Amino acid sequence: MTTELAEKELEKKYNKLVGTAASNMCAHCGWCIDSCHVYQASHDPEVSPVAKAEHVRRVYKKSHDWMSKIFPSWTGARKLTDEELEKWVKLAYRDCTLCERCVVNCPMGVETPQLIAAARAALAAQGKAPEILTQLADMAISREENAELYKDFFLEQIKEIEKQLQSYMGTPEATIPVDKEGVRILYVPLSGAHTILPEAIIFNAAGESWTLSMFEASNYGVFLGDSVKAKRIAERIINEAKRLKVKEVVLTECGHAYTTMRWEAPKWFGGPLPFRVRNIIEVLDEYIRDNRLKFDPAKNSEPVTYHDSCNLGRKGGLLEEPRRVLRAIAQDFREMTPNRLQSLCCGGGSGLVAIAEWSEDRIKAGKPKADQIRATGAKVVVTSCDNCRHQITELNEHYNLGIKVTSLCELAVQALVLPQPMSATSDNH
Amino acid sequence: MFSDGFVHFAEYELQIIALSWLCLLYIVKIFQLSRLPMLRENAPRKGSAIAGALRSYSSMFMPWSMESSRKHLYRWVEFGAYHVGAGIAILNTFTSPFAPGIMTEPVRWAFAILIAPAFFFGLVKLARRITRPEIRLISTPDDYFALASVEVYFFTAIMALLINNPLWRTIYFLITAAFLFYVPFSKISHYVYFFFAALFTGSRYGWRGVRPPVRRQTE
Repeated sequence: MTTELAEKELEKKYNKLVGTAASNMCAHCGWCIDSCHVYQASHDPEVSPVAKAEHVRRVYKKSHDWMSKIFPSWTGARKLTDEELEKWVKLAYRDCTLCERCVVNCPMGVETPQLIAAARAALAAQGKAPEILTQLADMAISREENAELYKDFFLEQIKEIEKQLQSYMGTPEATIPVDKEGVRILYVPLSGAHTILPEAIIFNAAGESWTLSMFEASNYGVFLGDSVKAKRIAERIINEAKRLKVKEVVLTECGHAYTTMRWEAPKWFGGPLPFRVRNIIEVLDEYIRDNRLKFDPAKNSEPVTYHDSCNLGRKGGLLEEPRRVLRAIAQDFREMTPNRLQSLCCGGGSGLVAIAEWSEDRIKAGKPKADQIRATGAKVVVTSCDNCRHQITELNEHYNLGIKVTSLCELAVQALVLPQPMSATSDNH
Repeated sequence: MFSDGFVHFAEYELQIIALSWLCLLYIVKIFQLSRLPMLRENAPRKGSAIAGALRSYSSMFMPWSMESSRKHLYRWVEFGAYHVGAGIAILNTFTSPFAPGIMTEPVRWAFAILIAPAFFFGLVKLARRITRPEIRLISTPDDYFALASVEVYFFTAIMALLINNPLWRTIYFLITAAFLFYVPFSKISHYVYFFFAALFTGSRYGWRGVRPPVRRQTE
């Protein structure tokens, strides 16, 4: 077996961030060790952030560090072998969710996830990435290539959701526009009505000028570590937004989709995108600030807590927006401890939730999050990321948390006071 | 034991040669690092990159800001004492030969008292590296050697400060010079990379409004 493609990809990823993290930057002090949820759940020294990063760091050192080039055994440096690459599969895709909690707890600011992301890229290049992630990324690309085939089926589905919307809002004027040019917002959902119907209710109630995207927001190319596929998937939405001449792209409650489009895509495409990029949480926060929507928090009287998605919060900067929305729509909002920047990963991030053969490991790694949820005494857990939602739903079943897991928009709709003509039949739902 | 000429050479010429070597190699390293590509944040910003970088540089002075130091305050005290001791020992390599006038007995004692806890915590760190499986797993010969050699450096610094005779002073400066020759190749260089890492990581978090947090996007 050869590791040539992986080595080439590793070299491509050797930028300032990776170079710094791979140099003699890490003092091996161990401060990061217990910041990792995977380590917290298992106490296995092999899965600590520094131990995982060392696998990649030592390979980089072999070709970039002066001492390691001459005396590799002195620094533990080694060449990339097929056997080593096999070990990377689990450490990069199973034992690390790229949550960055280790970064904010490192006294030196070592970007461990950059090394793990480089490992993912190398594995993807060598054809060793989990098959399901590759398939999901390829499916997303083929959806654009065969857009006409999908379109009729998609429109049929949307018509069904639109009927539910009209019934909920009590007016046939409530619509889900698709492919509408010149509107303010292009809203990009995930596949499934749960990220379309609540948002459609919110947009209609706020009187927003919007249209629904033909594509789903998720980007499995990012999870895979395949930058070519990731760019290709992001490009579908960028092209659609340009074609429809929208002013902004609003992404659904999906952590990585937001971080990808808001922060990473402008890097990939060499500059700011020709439209504003926001998350639906920010839009909801704006509607509340501008009094465009009215809520009755008494309709959400059960204790509610919020799980910060790593991508939205620590990597994306959306820390206060969801909290302002929650205070407006729920009566009893309780924080988890720790939260915001120090929030624990749910254990299912960065594509892990899609990989069935590692579900047991994923549930085990979610134990610290389950304990954190239980400690709040909350009956409802809100999370603005579908990956987290899936994982926390499974944690609920496995650890008997007795909670309901929902999204911010769904909870908001529950407390929404519809404008008078629209509320005629909404009480029936 | 050592001739006056050799003592003088160890304190002055050798130090200058060793320091020049260190500087030269760091310049090369920094040049190599600066030539690497950097994917800059070029999405419209939410916060301030400068505030983020400053926050990143200062986080070590705010133990409450990181869970890793908040939960393990001992670690932070150990970290602080160790690095203060290291700083004083390095400062002494300049003040002793180049500003002997300020190195009065009380100052020498004060320096020694500040280096002593670093020496003690260095032993604790070494013991931890050997006994704790999660730390042993990530340790390399370079880690053990770096810790052990810094311990020798601290010890000779304390002896040179307290006894202050030509023998200990010469040993101390010979160790210092050997150290300066070795450091660019060792993990002890982490302090140089820290300035880059704190800048890169801090400015990214700052730009994105993560740290320091930005309450609302103004666009």
